[in-house]
Amino acid sequence: MVRRWADYKTEAWVQWCPGCGDFGILTAIHRALAELDIDPRRLVVVGGIGCSSRSVYYIRGSNMHVIHGRSIPVASGVKLANPELEVVVVGGDGDLLGIGGGHFVALGRRNIDITVLLFDNAVYGLTKGQAGPTLPAGVKTKALPYPNVQDRVNPLILAYASGYTFIARGYAYHVNQLKDLIKAAIEHRGSAFIDILQPCPTYNDMMTKEWYEERIYYLNEEDPLWDPRIRGPGDYAKIPRIIEKMLEFGDRIPLGVFYQDLTKTTLEDRFEQQMPGYRKAPPALRPISVDGRVPVHPFKVFKDKLVET
Amino acid sequence: MVDLSFIIGGPQGGGVESAGQIALKAFVVKGYNVLGTREYHSNIMGAHSYYHVRVRDGPARALRTPVDLVVAIDAESVLTHINDVREGGYLVYDLDSVETDATKIASMEPSLRSRLRRFFESINMKPTVGSAVKVLEERGVRTVGLPLKDMLKKVSETLGAPIASIAKTVNVIGLTAGLYTLGVGLEYIVKAVEAQFGRRPKILAPNVTAARVAFEFMEWNFGSMKELPDGPHRGRVRMVASGNEVVAMAKIVGGLTFETFYPITPASDEAFYIEENKYVELGELSRRLGLDRLPIVVLQTEDEISAINMAIGAAVAGARAATSTSGPGFSLMNEAISMAVEMEAPVVVTLWMRAGPSTGIATRTGQQDLLHAIFSGHGDTPKIVVASGDHVEAFYDAIKAFNWAEMFQTPVIHLLDKYLASTITVLDEWDLDVSRISINRGLRVESPPEGYKRYEVTDNGISPFAPLGTTTMVASSLEHDEYGFASEDPVDREAMVEKRLRKFETMAKSIPEEEKLSVHGDPDARVTIVSFGSTKQPIISAMEELEREGVRVKFLQLRILSPFPSKTVSEILDNSDLIIGVEANSMGQLAFLVRAHTGIEVGHLIQKFNARPFYDVEIVYGVKRVLSEGARRVVVSGGA
Repeated sequence: MVRRWADYKTEAWVQWCPGCGDFGILTAIHRALAELDIDPRRLVVVGGIGCSSRSVYYIRGSNMHVIHGRSIPVASGVKLANPELEVVVVGGDGDLLGIGGGHFVALGRRNIDITVLLFDNAVYGLTKGQAGPTLPAGVKTKALPYPNVQDRVNPLILAYASGYTFIARGYAYHVNQLKDLIKAAIEHRGSAFIDILQPCPTYNDMMTKEWYEERIYYLNEEDPLWDPRIRGPGDYAKIPRIIEKMLEFGDRIPLGVFYQDLTKTTLEDRFEQQMPGYRKAPPALRPISVDGRVPVHPFKVFKDKLVET
Repeated sequence: MVDLSFIIGGPQGGGVESAGQIALKAFVVKGYNVLGTREYHSNIMGAHSYYHVRVRDGPARALRTPVDLVVAIDAESVLTHINDVREGGYLVYDLDSVETDATKIASMEPSLRSRLRRFFESINMKPTVGSAVKVLEERGVRTVGLPLKDMLKKVSETLGAPIASIAKTVNVIGLTAGLYTLGVGLEYIVKAVEAQFGRRPKILAPNVTAARVAFEFMEWNFGSMKELPDGPHRGRVRMVASGNEVVAMAKIVGGLTFETFYPITPASDEAFYIEENKYVELGELSRRLGLDRLPIVVLQTEDEISAINMAIGAAVAGARAATSTSGPGFSLMNEAISMAVEMEAPVVVTLWMRAGPSTGIATRTGQQDLLHAIFSGHGDTPKIVVASGDHVEAFYDAIKAFNWAEMFQTPVIHLLDKYLASTITVLDEWDLDVSRISINRGLRVESPPEGYKRYEVTDNGISPFAPLGTTTMVASSLEHDEYGFASEDPVDREAMVEKRLRKFETMAKSIPEEEKLSVHGDPDARVTIVSFGSTKQPIISAMEELEREGVRVKFLQLRILSPFPSKTVSEILDNSDLIIGVEANSMGQLAFLVRAHTGIEVGHLIQKFNARPFYDVEIVYGVKRVLSEGARRVVVSGGA
């Protein structure tokens, strides 16, 4: 059975403001899932707190809606407990890079096979427009009484430094291109990150649709030979150029896949290597008792603690 | 009746813990019951630490001072434990340290240094080891000075190894000399060394040689040893393990498949032991699954927030998941505990209490997180809190905690403390009788029906639990409807709050009363001690002593603190003339709970909050003070 993108919609009312960039992202996600034909029962979308995290109610899946900033650890627990599941994290810049910044870094270090979709609007929408961690210093959006005194974090560079093995940037209203990026991210084995520029028409009156569209361009359109893939040490020479592109954020803002490292193992691979059978009998699925009985006496297992008297 | 206590003290990082465990195991080999704990500073190397052991032919329930023997590996240990040896007992010390002055020992706590200086000033002596030895001799303590430097030289010559490479065997020299005074022969010590280090010749040979050198020294100077007769527990295989290890074992055989942790004293040793055994052969289960060894995911996280959230994710995905921590880490976990209640996630938190507030004394014990555990999480967040009294209870409780978590889809806090964590005891095969306990995963559905409702409203509040990946759903930490979709509707809200309350009532009703509390001692006694957690065995030991003196006391041990067994507690306490609380905290947290749930005042408190464990003799003392003078509050202060 081939699934259509409408199969991934739910009956819940989508509560975003009219014109919100999140709608474009949601459509791109629905379409990517359909094109990959992912079984909604095997899909786990995990969101924290914020407008974008609400997507867990708008995507058919076996989903979790969790507390602010903790979607990455929760999603990591799900994936490591059952590595057969397709796990996607959705969240805003406040959730993933503000309160959850430490977890964002830790996921990169682990390279768990999870896709992180950052709905990046640079503001805290649900609490009425406070500055988000990607809002540049000096910018005064209409909700701020004074210009922003804290500077923006560069999500791409942070992801690179943390160890993410797939790093991309998309734009909310370019649904087709974004859909392709999401597909590539989900298909990537390892921690994949897409920074999705998302205008917030209600609270971010500086980084608007027009503001972005004057600046964005695609890496592979500007440079048809652009190849972000690292297949081995021979490709390390590409890295300075990749970093340079990640740093570009001003008059011009590049989109597309910046970096994809195909050489690194995932945490799941490492568990399987240390404990052959991990994938066959993962934590969520393996039986733990023998017909409800404790399977073995501790004296038979923990022999290092035994003393003959 | 054999009832011996001893202390082995020395600098942290110098092998004192191994020495203590070897000494303890020598008595196990000899057929005795033992209890031993480690007291140490939050320090890697150099600060004073000591191992404190009780040996009995009957149950070894509690530690006590004064002891029969102090083995002082260094000068600081002689001075620190100057008041801990009984008259007629032994001090084993380093002859080369007699000139050492307390005021020159940099690692000593300044307050102890001043106390020692004032004490020696008052008797016109210099605060040196030599003075301490003299004072002890005057008190009737027998002292054995060891020429440690020469003895180490002898070990080094015998082995043909440089002194630096065998310097740590100084501990075995000390403990062997000490055990000689208690009548434990060389063969037991050698067996204990083997049990401690395995049969690794590189470590074994120097330590066995050191034991031999020390034993020969003692025989040369004091004649042949007067052998302590063997104890009643010979000729079988017994387990020697700490509370941390026993809980780890219970979790592993009890079905743990996912454990997260962030390093914190005194919880980490539990996670380390699980990690050591994460790829484990589990008997019949391994055979059935056709896998020699079964995997357990153990992961060190970036912080405790991640640890609990990851465990919750794994639990909702269907794993038997837990995390372990101590007070500061548990503070960080609070928001997620609240989520686990709202989301109905079956997660276990093993909470090893230590001395707070804040970082407090990270490596010492206390019972200060009882209320923290019960009231953890914002919002109305009922949950199960179970407190284990000793190693055996901790074993069963660790498995029950998982069962309850899954049966009631709730967070379960398993409350323990640093004292149990680092206390080693000896267990027999029948103590850990796994046939007494089952593994119950509750109302789990692997193939949920069409239209599955994750939060179906039911009479007992329990909805069928389908792991993630079996059907579409939302496990939500927002208030939700039966499907898990976010809902702010007032009717939905009330229905969900009521459902969770009914579920809590179901927990209260389903868990048998005898698992919630125990009454020890004479049930008709008019004096009742009320306590929880690791005070259990010290209290029982104290009661045995009080009984010999004709004092009749019963002990109400609360094992499940939430849901609180109000009715039974009321009945027992209403039938008491005098209620004495025993708690290792300053606020009387259990007394607070008892008053809140029953309206009954715990009129007298025996408290200890110097961050050291209760000794049985202290509880005897406390009870007598309450009975003789009606003391409202007795604070006891044993331990160096």
